[in-house]
Amino acid sequence: MLKEKLQKFFKIDRRWIFLLLAIILFIPIVKPIGLPNKTISKDTQNAYNFLDKLPAGSFVLFSLDYDPSTRPELHPQAVAMLRHAFSKNLRVGVVTYLAGATGLIGQIFEKIPAEYDKVNGRDYVIFPYMANAVAVMTQMSSDLYGIYDKDQDGKDTRTLPVMQGIKTYKDMALVVNITGTSMLDYWVAYVGDKYKMPVIGGVTAISQPGYGPYLQTGQLKGLLGGMKGAAEYESLIKTPGKGTSGIDALNLAHLLVLILILTSNIILLVIRYL
Amino acid sequence: MKFIKKQIPLMIVLVVGVLTLASYYVPHQRSVNFIEMMNKWENIVAAFAFFLGLISLFYTHYSKISRKVDGWGYSIFVFVGFFAMVIPAILCHGKQIDAAGKTALGWSFSFIYNPLSATMFAILAFYIVSTAYRSFRIKSLQALVLFVAAFILILGKVPLGQIIWDSVMGWTRTGISDVIEWIMSYPAVAGKRGIMIGIAIGAVVTSFKIIFGIEKQYLGKD
Repeated sequence: MLKEKLQKFFKIDRRWIFLLLAIILFIPIVKPIGLPNKTISKDTQNAYNFLDKLPAGSFVLFSLDYDPSTRPELHPQAVAMLRHAFSKNLRVGVVTYLAGATGLIGQIFEKIPAEYDKVNGRDYVIFPYMANAVAVMTQMSSDLYGIYDKDQDGKDTRTLPVMQGIKTYKDMALVVNITGTSMLDYWVAYVGDKYKMPVIGGVTAISQPGYGPYLQTGQLKGLLGGMKGAAEYESLIKTPGKGTSGIDALNLAHLLVLILILTSNIILLVIRYL
Repeated sequence: MKFIKKQIPLMIVLVVGVLTLASYYVPHQRSVNFIEMMNKWENIVAAFAFFLGLISLFYTHYSKISRKVDGWGYSIFVFVGFFAMVIPAILCHGKQIDAAGKTALGWSFSFIYNPLSATMFAILAFYIVSTAYRSFRIKSLQALVLFVAAFILILGKVPLGQIIWDSVMGWTRTGISDVIEWIMSYPAVAGKRGIMIGIAIGAVVTSFKIIFGIEKQYLGKD
């Protein structure tokens, strides 16, 4: 009798689980709980330290390769790292190899540079979208202007003040790649390793464990993982943003997953011994 | 005919493959120029491949609509979505923001592409949670190890989990971040490194097979 009752739990309509998750996600988004982010991971700290130690005026190339599907995790990472770069008076170049990212890059540069009195062409440059990432990465090693002769607005990149003295990777201080794709592997293999270029990554939480080998060998100087990585970086630069506010919803959703797995397995165990 | 269809493509692959591979190891201006030229060609070929893919996509969905197969209504949205983004992009010369503010393309990106793409991905969260409840069964030792590792990683990824760990496991004087670091640095890296080395060796072998004409499936059947 009890066994049959317990078995009904496995036949529960999945829409009830959907509803439970929706409620759990909805509450902290409407009214954030504000749980403290207690630890800063070593990889996020390393990424922060590397960027922080660059001398003012160094050129940092941001490769922002994520689209709206991974926006909640990666957009706050990009915003936090760009804020840090601008606050340190670094020169910023932005490339993308994902067509869907162009709009998100536009959204960032609509607001963030103005907060630090940064001007397009003088302090930063946005290069147009390019297909075939590996070919472009290789081309940039010999002459960046061979592929990016114009910026996103059609201006001649050679004449832009931000590009003075920049021709190849040798003239750059760092590559930051924030991506929900395998683009970071390409940056490490085709640019980081081949041209001894420091690379920092920002990836989704689900792909973070895969980059362990690169971190151990120093091929990646630091790594931000998911929304927690963004929240950690925001706390390091002391500017709370979407990463910090989104972590509450993530908290509860993660715990719900654990509770559901535990519940179903306990029920299974009870059924087996009844 | 066989010479044009088989021998010439094989010769092109052999010559270009060997030259490209050699250029990687030859630090000379000529090899740099060759790689630059190949990159430009690659971009041109990729553009044609993209165009070909588009035609194929349109043809597939057009025939679904014309034959009224099951779910043909969804195929209409392939065209609706495509033109809703491409027409504003052409009209606005690819610019999402101009002096007057958001352009038609900017509007399409913010209010069509952005929410649709985010919704598609967000739906996954609901299926993952439902599947976790219905399918994650600890029936073996391997499944138990997987579960324990996943449990610690998920718990450690969120501040609330860290608070729970500290209050329950605080007596061990080992933080959850230490446990996660150990899992990530040893078992996870070992597994990932093995996979990466396997993939790399496989890729090298396949490349050589293609360059030397042993693997010829890319030429088609006839």
